[in-house]
Amino acid sequence: MNEAKVNDDIVPRIRDYVAGRLGARDVTLELVERIAVGWSHETWLFDAVWRDGSVQRRLGLCLRRDPGNALLRHLSTLETQFKVLQCLEHTALPTPKPYWYESDTSILDAPFLVMEKVAGTCPSPWGRDGRAFYAAAAKRGVLPNSFTRTLATLHTLDWRAAGLGFLGIPAPGKSFAQREIAKWRELIAVSEHPPEPILTDLIGWLEENAPPTDRVCLVHGAYRTGNLLIHGDRVSAVLDWELQVLGDPLYDVAYVLSDLNREGTPLLSNLVDRDAFFRDYEGATGIAIDENVCRYYNALYAMRSVAFWMSASGLYASGMSNDIRLARTAYSVPDVLDRAAKELGY
Amino acid sequence: MGGAATRRAPVVNAGELLQRIAQTLRNDVGPAVDAEYPKTQAFMAAVVLQKLGRELALADGHRAADATELRALADDLVRARGTLRPDAGSSQATRGGSANVAAAIDRFAAMLDQESLCGVIESLYAARAELDAAQFDALLGRRVRRTLRTQIDRRLEFAK
Repeated sequence: MNEAKVNDDIVPRIRDYVAGRLGARDVTLELVERIAVGWSHETWLFDAVWRDGSVQRRLGLCLRRDPGNALLRHLSTLETQFKVLQCLEHTALPTPKPYWYESDTSILDAPFLVMEKVAGTCPSPWGRDGRAFYAAAAKRGVLPNSFTRTLATLHTLDWRAAGLGFLGIPAPGKSFAQREIAKWRELIAVSEHPPEPILTDLIGWLEENAPPTDRVCLVHGAYRTGNLLIHGDRVSAVLDWELQVLGDPLYDVAYVLSDLNREGTPLLSNLVDRDAFFRDYEGATGIAIDENVCRYYNALYAMRSVAFWMSASGLYASGMSNDIRLARTAYSVPDVLDRAAKELGY
Repeated sequence: MGGAATRRAPVVNAGELLQRIAQTLRNDVGPAVDAEYPKTQAFMAAVVLQKLGRELALADGHRAADATELRALADDLVRARGTLRPDAGSSQATRGGSANVAAAIDRFAAMLDQESLCGVIESLYAARAELDAAQFDALLGRRVRRTLRTQIDRRLEFAK
């Protein structure tokens, strides 16, 4: 895909679409920014500005477009993301208000959704500036508590009442873990990556040791700093609704506890003291954190990571994407396989 | 033969060439690009070429080591195949798994590739209920995984 060309000609078309939706003439787009993060969908931020009689109106919007070669294209569609945001709109969980979803590719050449541009920033925990941001926030102590409280809100919301049952309700027992394994198996299969014996070993172990659970919650699937918008030392919105699933809340907890998201600090997700997280999360949810189960899910995340990187490098290898970041991920596969082997004790 | 007319340019091997191009991308091209997307692409290309260069430089040695180790693993598994026995407590319904393990080992010994090695691992897990725990651990835990560990360590030499 020619990135420069896309940048040049899409903005007027977005403006025309938004003007039609708002029923306003003379709409201009200000503060237009294409965010260069994420490998799944293109993301645009802008303010729509128009006159309503003598009053100037301004609406901050975020548009996500499916480029057709998204990393999780087999597992996550913008339509599903839009439905999830609609379901969450009237819950206590802070999420962007969804405005419009369009499957008509004649408008912007690809399906897209438009949602509220929520106030806040989303520093990357992988960069120097982001690490400094979270280190300073950790010292102030307000954001860590908001991080944990927001996860507790996510896990205690009434997903049935919110209409999220369409995500698929796992049966009691081992069904949740088995469904996740099957999902990542599918992504691995479509990536057409050469066979990896460590991955085969990992999958065998995961299938044999799937933990039973009868507690079903909304699980975000990638709850960490970098996927949360921060405003005034609080989480202003939970973002990246691509991996959500109904299932064991400890799946999210394991991700929070994982070394993956710490960048060398002892703080969970670069932000939260481990003991404080246990105390605040268990206190707010009534859910006891079983560290053995979390260790299992950590191994499941290794499988998921392998699936991601195989899929990503496959997109580059097949010519579906020219983004060299995806070519780089071919070298992430051995790295995660090493982690998987260590999880299995070798 | 001799003299200035026959002098040849120094030969740069592929790995070295890629390392040098990576350096140029990282030190000269990337910093000169202002726009965020192409700048990221330049730096990422440097990372890929550096790893690829290292992979190529190590390829011959790695290929030989892999072949030697897969052969040794196959020899050990073929020897162990004769001792496969169902666990005394396994049910009649689960028996037959050890025969599948034996067949997977034979295939691996013939093919000596990653796909047939995956087949051995799958057959071991499938026969888990039938094999006694010590046997499963000896085959997968102590033998197959030893080879997998050395293989992944080699790949990390260029992937890290």
